[in-house]
Amino acid sequence: MSGPDPAGRLVPVTILTGFLGSGKTTLLNRLLKEPSMARAAVIVNEFGEIGLDHLLIEASEEQFQLLDNGCVCCTVRGDLVETLKALHRRTADGELPELNRVVIETTGLADPAPILHTLIAEQDLASRYRIAGVVTTVDAVNGPATLERHAEAAKQVAVADRLIITKADLVDGWKVDALQHRLAALAPAAERCLVADAALETLLDAETLGGEARADRIAAWFDKAIQAVHDHEHACGAHCDHHDHHHHDHSHHHGIQSYSFVIDEPVEWGTFATWLDYIAALKGEDLLRLKGLVCVADDIERPLVLHGVQHVFHPPTRLDSWPSPDRRTRLVFIVRDIARETIERTLAKFAGVRPAQASERHAA
Amino acid sequence: MPDKSAELVLGNGRIYTMNRKQPWASHLAVKGGRIVAVGDAASVAPFTGGSTRSVDLKGAMLMPGVVDVHAHLMMGGQAELFELRYASTSSFETIIEKVREKAASTKPGSWIIGGQWGSDLHAKLNSLEALAKLDAAAQGRPVMLRDDSYHNRWVNSEAMRLAGISKDTPDPDQGSIGRDPTTGAPTGLMIESASGLVESVIANSGYYTEEMDRAAMAQSISTLNSYGVTAFLDAAAMQPILAALKGLDDRGELTAWSVSAMPAVEPSFMFGIAGDELIALKEQYRSAHAKPDFVKVFLDGVPGARTAAFHEPYVADPILGCCFRGSTIVTVPDLIRWVGKCEKLGLAVKIHCAGDAAVSQALDAIDVVRSFNGPTRLIHHIAHASYITPGDIPRFAELGVAADLSPFLWYPTSFLEGHKQAMGVERALRFWPNKQLLAAGALLAGGSDWPVMPNPDPWNGIEGLVTRQNPSGEFAGEALWPEEAIDVATALEIFTINSARAIGLGETIGSIEIGKSADFIELDRNVLEIPADEIADIKVMTTWFEGRVVYERT
Repeated sequence: MSGPDPAGRLVPVTILTGFLGSGKTTLLNRLLKEPSMARAAVIVNEFGEIGLDHLLIEASEEQFQLLDNGCVCCTVRGDLVETLKALHRRTADGELPELNRVVIETTGLADPAPILHTLIAEQDLASRYRIAGVVTTVDAVNGPATLERHAEAAKQVAVADRLIITKADLVDGWKVDALQHRLAALAPAAERCLVADAALETLLDAETLGGEARADRIAAWFDKAIQAVHDHEHACGAHCDHHDHHHHDHSHHHGIQSYSFVIDEPVEWGTFATWLDYIAALKGEDLLRLKGLVCVADDIERPLVLHGVQHVFHPPTRLDSWPSPDRRTRLVFIVRDIARETIERTLAKFAGVRPAQASERHAA
Repeated sequence: MPDKSAELVLGNGRIYTMNRKQPWASHLAVKGGRIVAVGDAASVAPFTGGSTRSVDLKGAMLMPGVVDVHAHLMMGGQAELFELRYASTSSFETIIEKVREKAASTKPGSWIIGGQWGSDLHAKLNSLEALAKLDAAAQGRPVMLRDDSYHNRWVNSEAMRLAGISKDTPDPDQGSIGRDPTTGAPTGLMIESASGLVESVIANSGYYTEEMDRAAMAQSISTLNSYGVTAFLDAAAMQPILAALKGLDDRGELTAWSVSAMPAVEPSFMFGIAGDELIALKEQYRSAHAKPDFVKVFLDGVPGARTAAFHEPYVADPILGCCFRGSTIVTVPDLIRWVGKCEKLGLAVKIHCAGDAAVSQALDAIDVVRSFNGPTRLIHHIAHASYITPGDIPRFAELGVAADLSPFLWYPTSFLEGHKQAMGVERALRFWPNKQLLAAGALLAGGSDWPVMPNPDPWNGIEGLVTRQNPSGEFAGEALWPEEAIDVATALEIFTINSARAIGLGETIGSIEIGKSADFIELDRNVLEIPADEIADIKVMTTWFEGRVVYERT
């Protein structure tokens, strides 16, 4: 799939995930009643939670079904790539209405990362679709226990672009705050909102770097993410004992951590790309997401936008200009069991860059 | 009170332990296959009971069993049991005569398989005249003769017919078929992967049976025991090898510790599943003494065939041109992925690097992995660490990489003559900087690469490490880079405790210490007292493996 799409001709694909019982299907059902979803296709994993049947006009053996609001629903029987290709083909043939959005609902236990890199890695899809982000539902009632018990749930949160808290009306306000705090620790760079507070049609517009995102929005995302990650690291530095694995933060987080780096000097792309290859090859499994805005030495006027999921990276895209006066390279990592020091040391050794820690930046 | 009686006590020996804290002892005691006491008569007295067998060493030297860090047992055993043997210094005429003799005792249609011809015969064999002579000697039987590097083959017309090789057969990837320069007809010389075209026909013909596999491995291990070897690393263990080792251990017939390196890619000289598919099976082949703990990666070929990867070009050649440096067959990123994957699986990697550029690339890849993964207990090997650019020497110790010293070519040999032709004399002679590696703190581990060496006799290697001269008397008066000679005590460590550490068994074998396996050898003379040029004459009198006699010289 592709990165920025200024012409807006690519169909955005949102991955909707969330643990069992987190309200994912309820949310999807509500969304499907929205007029703006009339030209959307929803892909449901056939092992997923049942919940859309009552919306079907008629049950049939067809893989693709038209819902009463005009939305196309299908189950994944083969692989996701084939389903997306078939959707495009049938749309082009006029068998299905023109699409303006695709939502993939994963199973409750699904790890969204492999779905993301299937979408990134498959060249044939790049000319038709773009990733519109990962939206993860977390319910305020069972979410805290689920996050503690299940590494899969923590990973769904960690890779999210947007976190939607459901069932907040069923618990005390302080419990929602505690959950917010925990989500901020797991995914400081993700947008968070309560399902009740959000305008429904914007819930699925989660992508901040690709798609139709404008340069200023990308810059704003990085500013906010760097600050959020820094604040978390700073808070943790003040209160956490990193050597104590039983401490609340790290034992709850299944080894998941976020780091941000700011690099003052322009980066040599060749060596930096080599470093990306190395980390993808050796730590790919634990590199949940990497987003970057990179000032490349051979073209310092036009920054590169990076987006990686595990061992797969989007082809980097180039912005026409810097969206703000801040021309420093910024990298935001969400990782599992990778030490900050490993990233720093290897960046210095193989890419020749010495990141200033976010905290140092702020101290200066 | 539990019975402290040892099953075996050895006394009155000159026991050289390889334990630097207690280098010498006179007595030791063994219980349950492990050493329970080392010292003098008083040390073993508490362990001596009615059921204890006592052996009087009568002043003989005893030392730990030798550990061979690089051998190919199946081939060694097959060669000993089933194949035509001739010295790698044999002349062309001798080889033809040997084939003629073998043909007389081989039934028509059966393969004649043999080796190993010297690398210096490459040019001579690569001609239609030579092929005609081989055909005449074989009288219609298919013939395949391996070279001394085991990477290349010389086969006859019947063998090529069975393999479907003709003038029109293209060169395979990573290999080439020798051809007559005017007609293009194949000469029977099969370089690197081209060997596989013929080897696979033999493998698929059912020539080697499971019984032959097991007999070959048992034969190899018994040969190793006879030279005092009680542990080895099989450096390209395909499924039949893993199965035979496990099978022998299950029967209580495995008389050496075995560590196996499973090839990442099917090697050109062995056939069957490799890589992920083979690695997935590793636990089913594990037993007390059979440890599939390594993966083997071939990064380049051999200098004599100009398939090793060097920083500087080979001597100009009509086919390869002026500036051919050889090339590595695995990219650095792929090697990084392999090493990274193996570390996750708890496997060390043995990387075949014959040329200095291959060594550099292997070290580069390991450097990357170390930088991301941090320290590991796994010790990766650079196999055949022989042509090394000076800047790479300190990197072995820095990265914790073992230098696998094999085969025993640290003295003048027919290989070296081949290297001189390929690289020029001056570069060819900068071969095996063992002393520099040692001074730089590298872990040096000794191996035979048998059957590349016609036998796995470590005493030949140990003498060579010390003298840098050919122990056989060939190339008399010549020494290879004598400044790189090392002392006897160090050479002994290289073939015992160092190799034990390198194969991941440093806590179990390699020295005579309490708690270690009772693997030791009695020698007919004291290695540390005889002139260096007699070391290769040493005979092993008795070999013990876990306290049991597994070889006795008669």
